[in-house]
Amino acid sequence: MLSEVRFEGVHKIFGTETAVEDLNLTVNAGEFLVLVGPSGCGKTTTLRMLAGLERPSYGRILIGDRLVNNVSPRFRDVAMVFQSYALYPHMNVYDNLAFGMRARGAAGGLIAQQVKETAAVLGLGHLMKRRPSELSGGQRQRVALGRALIRQPQVFLMDEPLSNLDAGLRVQMRAELSRLHERFRVTTLYVTHDQVEAMTMGDRIAVMNSGRLQQVDAPETLYDNPANTFVAGFIGSPRMNFVPGRLTTAQGATAVEFLGVKAPLSSRAKLTADAAEGEVMVGLRPEDLMWRRAAAPESTLTISAEVDVVEPMGHEAYVTAVCAGETVTSRFPPRSGVRTRERIELALNPARLHLFDAHSGTTILQRPAAGGAELPRSVGEARIDEPAEGRSERHRQPQSRGMQSRTEEIS
Amino acid sequence: MSAVQARRVAAENLIVVPYRRVSVAALATNTLLILLGCFFLLPMLWMVFASVDSNPDWAIKLPTLTLANFADVLSRADALTSFRSSLILAGTTTVLTTVLALLAAYPLSRMHIPFKRSFMLAILFASGLPVSMLIIPVYQMYVSFGWLDSLYATALFLSASSLPFAIWLMKNFIDAVPVELEQAAAIDGASTFRILRELVLPLTVPGIAVTGIYTFINAWGAFIIPFVLTYSPDNQPGPVEIYNFMGSHGLFKFGDLAVFSLLFSLPVIVLYLFMSRYFSGAFNFGGAVK
Amino acid sequence: MSLAVAAGLGPRLDRERFQWSSLLMLSPALALLGVLFVFPVLYAGYLGFTNLALVGSRSRDYEFTGLDNITRMLGDYVFIKSSWLTIIFVVGSAIVGQTVLGMALAILLRNALVSVRVVIGSIVIVAWVLPEITVALVWYAFSQAGGTLSILLRQTDTNFLVTVPMLIVSLANLWRNVAFSMLVFSAGLRNLPTEVLEAAEVEGASAWRRYRLVVLPLLKPTIVTNLLLVTILNLSEFTLIYAMTQGGPGIETMTLPLYVYQEAFVFHQLGYGTAISLVLVLIGAVFSLLFVRASRSQV
Repeated sequence: MLSEVRFEGVHKIFGTETAVEDLNLTVNAGEFLVLVGPSGCGKTTTLRMLAGLERPSYGRILIGDRLVNNVSPRFRDVAMVFQSYALYPHMNVYDNLAFGMRARGAAGGLIAQQVKETAAVLGLGHLMKRRPSELSGGQRQRVALGRALIRQPQVFLMDEPLSNLDAGLRVQMRAELSRLHERFRVTTLYVTHDQVEAMTMGDRIAVMNSGRLQQVDAPETLYDNPANTFVAGFIGSPRMNFVPGRLTTAQGATAVEFLGVKAPLSSRAKLTADAAEGEVMVGLRPEDLMWRRAAAPESTLTISAEVDVVEPMGHEAYVTAVCAGETVTSRFPPRSGVRTRERIELALNPARLHLFDAHSGTTILQRPAAGGAELPRSVGEARIDEPAEGRSERHRQPQSRGMQSRTEEIS
Repeated sequence: MSAVQARRVAAENLIVVPYRRVSVAALATNTLLILLGCFFLLPMLWMVFASVDSNPDWAIKLPTLTLANFADVLSRADALTSFRSSLILAGTTTVLTTVLALLAAYPLSRMHIPFKRSFMLAILFASGLPVSMLIIPVYQMYVSFGWLDSLYATALFLSASSLPFAIWLMKNFIDAVPVELEQAAAIDGASTFRILRELVLPLTVPGIAVTGIYTFINAWGAFIIPFVLTYSPDNQPGPVEIYNFMGSHGLFKFGDLAVFSLLFSLPVIVLYLFMSRYFSGAFNFGGAVK
Repeated sequence: MSLAVAAGLGPRLDRERFQWSSLLMLSPALALLGVLFVFPVLYAGYLGFTNLALVGSRSRDYEFTGLDNITRMLGDYVFIKSSWLTIIFVVGSAIVGQTVLGMALAILLRNALVSVRVVIGSIVIVAWVLPEITVALVWYAFSQAGGTLSILLRQTDTNFLVTVPMLIVSLANLWRNVAFSMLVFSAGLRNLPTEVLEAAEVEGASAWRRYRLVVLPLLKPTIVTNLLLVTILNLSEFTLIYAMTQGGPGIETMTLPLYVYQEAFVFHQLGYGTAISLVLVLIGAVFSLLFVRASRSQV
């Protein structure tokens, strides 16, 4: 059974601290929604409220059409994977898996069969007699997952389930979790502080900061059209560069000045109503800020800068450079040969600019309505739309970039 | 010798530093400890030697081996009665205290209770109050209730006086059981009763054992409370009996006295050994929660 | 904004609910403590100001006598001496002896060979686990004329329980209770951050300096806790002293708990005995306050 989950105007206050403020969020039936944010942003509190471990201070929480504010965790029909796994230390793997079914009074035969099936799905078959203390971190993680899976609940809750695993295992489990979700399609709310987990696993991502929901969107939309500077800075690595700029209008043409250059916005660039001339915050992703010599033809703007630090990553390099008193990070092909103090030219595609209000930090580029009209791309046009086609384009990009850098090396 | 070789030799010279060596400090430490150990061992040793000596006196000496002292004590009716009384007194106290402490400690650890902090402070303060203060009003109360010279009534007061510390101890043990386990069980659909029976109880076993054994050891050795609240020879527990024995003819029967106190000490020593073993292995929370 | 705006949203939905089951689970303990702990404490507070006696007419028709018991105490030579003896006993045996020896044992055992640690540690702990009456007996035997101590000191005619009774009683008490402090300090040492000690060692501090300048300050909370517990436990020490000397010879070891017992159950002065026990509680409170103050002022 698939159920959607709704938070309606939910607040949670601890003492004088507001952990969650006026949260309105819907997790669609069968969806894998990742709740991401820095520690202390209220994401775990949100999850715990849905589990019934905390009661909201105000507002309503619904699972399906049922108001669950005052329903105890026992009767919510949710399953949860804890960050610490919370396996029962005095029971072996079998009993850990069977506990929930026994508590719900299932028949012995059914329990045995279900435990066996679940264990088989997770590859735990040979570990049934072991206690949690005799398992490795990854095995414990699987048992915790199995304890949730076996229940076939309406909603899965996962609280940073991968954060205690080492890097290699984390990548493996990430894929496994996605596969399990493909298979069972249970509505899932997944909490993490790791933006890579969020980007790779979520159908949609909800970004929270200081108790407030910032933006909810599909991973690519979130990446391409961040609603504010927080989301823009939080999603993406290395972090987006923020530099101050000025918005000017002369003879009906709007342009933005930053880092000593002036980028015209085409007439098609849609600015929000409250965008006014004057101070703005310009956001530039490092991969959009390229070495002139490796840049694509659309990157019409050229910025002169002095190299500060070069960080080679193997397949690429991040170059931190100073330009007009601002420090910006850009993505370089590997073995570019640039050195500290060297003067370089950076290229930028003006269509890739992000513009934010200088004070509130919210974007002043108009975001498209769902399934919005496709806009033709041309040089000098701020990109404001990212429908399905745009998504696929982004997937292709790294490849084409790779080819560029290869040609760069040869030349 | 090449440069490489030279470097290797130098490196070997640098690295070979014995990790463990017999230092003056280590020698002094262990010697000092052994001397201190003798200070602790000598008085006890007297009891052991005198108990199997046919002609003991106040000093430690190699015994002329005999089991007569044991036979003598074990044939005395008053000695056996006092064991029975001690068992009733300490057993009742332990069961009562442990059960009440467990019941009280759980809500104090987990549930919302108004003025919980003040209550715990009061509990801590109460466990520091001298029994000598409580014994007079309690004696007065027992006289009016007609409870004097009853082992069970005495155990009741013994329980009351050991309860504050037992609650405090037990609460610390329950606090150490991760709440997340109970939350996980609740989400798994378990009822409060099932959570208590299948999670809290088994996970608190070490705490229950420690609290119970601690209470038992104290109740087993309790002197002033039964000394004041019981009077008939049949109801005198071991400590009171040994005290009387010392006072009357014990000073001429060193052997019997030594046997009596040795036998009386054995249960608590065994219990302690059991408890320390219990601590060291068995339960490991490490695996369950990170 | 947050709280102010939230205040406009009506009543909070997450106020803590009192669960009746908690009261159900607490009630047996509360009942027992109420009847046989709280009530006796309050009752003692009243009896201390009466002339209640154990036998005779005053055992039934006792009355409130105001501050009579207090005035009597101030003129009572035995009470004054008893108070001093109590303080000497607690300071000597508990505060100085038990704390210093307990810490020394903890530190020594930590650095000892495993075999030595296990054997000596167990012996010390067994001394603590033994029933008090047994400790009283073995120390009685140890200190008699012709006992082991007299042989060791080559004074076989001396009964040390007569010549230096307070010292022997204090030593016996120290012998029995030091394991408690040792365990407290062992745990305290175990919880010290090892990096700090290693850092001090790397910097070349001698063992003595490491303990004095690094370990001791870090152990301060443990020391205060230990002092507090040890003082409170030893203040009410009765069985050991009573079984060894009954307060004698004369009144040389008559500490306050023994004096309370003697006044109440030997001289039948229950009211006066209770009043003395209240002074005992007062002394305990003063000591506790001093320690808590000291720990606050220097941290």
